[in-house]
Amino acid sequence: MGNSSSTHKISAQDKAILDMKNQRDKLHQYQRRVTVLTDRETAIAKEMLAKGDKKKALLALRRKKYQESLLAKTDTQLEQLEKLTSSVEFALVQKDVVFGLQQGTSVLKEIHKEMGGLDHVEKLMGDTAEAVIYQQEVSDMLGGRISNQDEDEVEDELEALEAEVTGVPLPEVPTSDLPHRERVKARQRDQEGVQGTAMLA
Amino acid sequence: MSASLPSTSPFPFPRFYNFPPFFSRQPTLQTHHSQLRKWSTLILNYCRHHRIFKLSLIDALDTELLYNKSLDKRMGIGEVREVVEFMRKEGRAEWAGEGGKGVGGNEVWIWWRNPEEWASLFYEWVDDTAQKHTVLTLYELTESEATISQEFHGMDPDLLQKALSILVKRGKAQVFGQEDQQGVKFF
Repeated sequence: MGNSSSTHKISAQDKAILDMKNQRDKLHQYQRRVTVLTDRETAIAKEMLAKGDKKKALLALRRKKYQESLLAKTDTQLEQLEKLTSSVEFALVQKDVVFGLQQGTSVLKEIHKEMGGLDHVEKLMGDTAEAVIYQQEVSDMLGGRISNQDEDEVEDELEALEAEVTGVPLPEVPTSDLPHRERVKARQRDQEGVQGTAMLA
Repeated sequence: MSASLPSTSPFPFPRFYNFPPFFSRQPTLQTHHSQLRKWSTLILNYCRHHRIFKLSLIDALDTELLYNKSLDKRMGIGEVREVVEFMRKEGRAEWAGEGGKGVGGNEVWIWWRNPEEWASLFYEWVDDTAQKHTVLTLYELTESEATISQEFHGMDPDLLQKALSILVKRGKAQVFGQEDQQGVKFF
């Protein structure tokens, strides 16, 4: 029966727990037996009382009392056993937790080792900062050159414009009068027409 | 028998239980077949109701199951055997003699749940109550207050062993400890 599966093993702790639980079961059975006995004693007491035998009835009741005290005692024993069993089971859980923590810690350490320690990280961060500064300088330099170039271009354009202005003559200013008045009249007429339609609406 | 903890409420017998020809072997093949089927259902339901795992035929002859007092009709032992044989073929009963070969014996396992189904039921219960990897005693499984609401409460120890051995074969449980102080651990 024991070697049917090799992956699931019964440890010594399991056996110890089983022993305790068996003990508990035995106490349970004992309690059941005593309960049956007390019931029987009560029945006997009743029977004796019906027969008028007070002495025997009393005896039966005394036996019952004693058995009840036994029951109470076994109750406390049961409690002890159950407490112990729970503690053992809880300790096993704790063991698992500790094992889990250990596992986690070692993995964490492993990862840290792969990262190469604090000094390495510090150096790395310093290098990064340096690289960033370097990059900044490069872009500044490049940015400056670009603006100089732009400046040159702008100046060139200005020169070209100036050459244009000085080189090409402007068109002459017209000397004749503008056809001013007729236009004003026509505008007035238009406005009156617009007002009229507005009032109709 | 410790296995038969009678349920408090009376078993509701079906209508055909009060039908006198139900108790005598029907000559027509077809009628006989349907009679066997009805008896099989009745016995299964009765045993489920009273949580009877193993039926003793001789004792059962005088119980209400096979003896209808109001009709004064009863089943004969031969007829009962016939019914049991019918149930066996359907996989709902098994002769409980030595090594399971006690054909025509007195005691019969009534499989209103067969061992495989019991095994699954145990496993489900353990899973539901999160008791995997916990050591349980066999006594605890069938007799403790924790399982009173379960159908396997009060189960015949032999049947318990059968069901557990199925789980052990599947690698889902391990039975250990000395004789009659055994425990089980589910995985």
